[in-house]
Amino acid sequence: MTALLVVQGLRKRFGARLLFDIETLTIDAGSAYVLTGSNGVGKSTILRILAGLEAADAAGLTFLGQPLGLSPYPKTLRQSVAYVHQHPVMFSTTVVKNIGYGLVARKVPAPEIARRVEAAMEWAGVTHLAARHPQHLSGGEKQRVALARAKVLEPKLLLLDEPTSNLDGFAREQVIGLIPDMTHAGSSVIMACHDKDLIGMPGAHRMKLRDGRLQMREA
Amino acid sequence: MHLIEAIRGAFALLFSGDAALWQIIWVSVKTSTVALLIATPVAILIGYSIAAHKFRGKRIVIWLTQASLSLPTVMIGLLLYLLLSRQGPLGSLQWLFTQSGVVFGQALIATPVLVAFTLAAVQAADVRIAETAITLGASRWRTMFTVLHEVRFGVMAAIINGFGRVIAEVGSAIMVGGNIEGQTRTITAAIALETSKGEFAQGIALGIVLLAIALIINALLMVLQGDVQSATGA
Repeated sequence: MTALLVVQGLRKRFGARLLFDIETLTIDAGSAYVLTGSNGVGKSTILRILAGLEAADAAGLTFLGQPLGLSPYPKTLRQSVAYVHQHPVMFSTTVVKNIGYGLVARKVPAPEIARRVEAAMEWAGVTHLAARHPQHLSGGEKQRVALARAKVLEPKLLLLDEPTSNLDGFAREQVIGLIPDMTHAGSSVIMACHDKDLIGMPGAHRMKLRDGRLQMREA
Repeated sequence: MHLIEAIRGAFALLFSGDAALWQIIWVSVKTSTVALLIATPVAILIGYSIAAHKFRGKRIVIWLTQASLSLPTVMIGLLLYLLLSRQGPLGSLQWLFTQSGVVFGQALIATPVLVAFTLAAVQAADVRIAETAITLGASRWRTMFTVLHEVRFGVMAAIINGFGRVIAEVGSAIMVGGNIEGQTRTITAAIALETSKGEFAQGIALGIVLLAIALIINALLMVLQGDVQSATGA
């Protein structure tokens, strides 16, 4: 399996307190990873560091074999990594414009934006919501729009922070059902979660953050 | 009876199409609008930059910005008078007792209001808005416009307050403008002058106009604000 991302000596401190010290974090291309651990152990922080939203120390980082730094956050990673918050925020415009936001920001030609956004909406089952404004959506619908907004960018690495934490019933099942599609499409996915169904997802590698150390378990 | 007569006289003056009266109104609206057009982009950029960035001395900058809201306009007028007078450092501009000078003063008066309100609006914004924009690949400018769009209710409140402050101020307009009829006489300067002369009808007429302008401008800005409920990010 080709390594997509390798981070060595990843450390995060808050003042004098060392939150974690991870010797090596290896993410293979097209694989799913479930990151577990107690509350406050630093699961979300790892995702935020990998998304370039939080500063940290790293002894070394390679992305698709290319050596990169972590600070300032490299352009290659910005174009290849997508992140979805635990409670995703929607911009106050239509669903279709929310999903196309990243493509517009990346100056993708308009016809291609329309094509990719339509495909992403169909994938997430939100086509019927295209013209709606997000304040009228349910939690599950917002989560699916957020996933479509990330997937439409065709990221090599997708970071999902507790993607089902605020969902239950059918909405939760819908979101869980979307995740394997992303790895089949070639993206690697890291999910920080407590959800047993996500933790037990077939083919997903399990990582546990405990006492500041990362333990890897095979899929 | 004296007050009722004055109000009746004010309406008669307004509907008579008195050229001098409408000239005063025009000078006021023109200088206030131009000042706001100049100050708004700069002040919004400053307010956003202070709110969105971490830097040493940020709390002091916020403190000074908020304190500058209490600065009397007559102080700004005095400062500008000294700067723009013939021997002042900006004397070569020859802006003293001109509409350019009035606009300069009003832009300076509006700036702290615009900065402070924008700063407060951006500080109160959900941090996930900027984070989402950044992770979706937005540039710094696009992120700024996205955040400002989400807090547009607060930004429009900044502009409304900025306009209110400049159209209602009198100290700077008199000191820098010189209260020259047909040139730099604004509504507030004219009210002060007419009242001192005992010409209450014109003073009240101008007061009514000032109130009407405030109502119209606020209504227009509220329309531009759009749906307030959708302006905070869902």
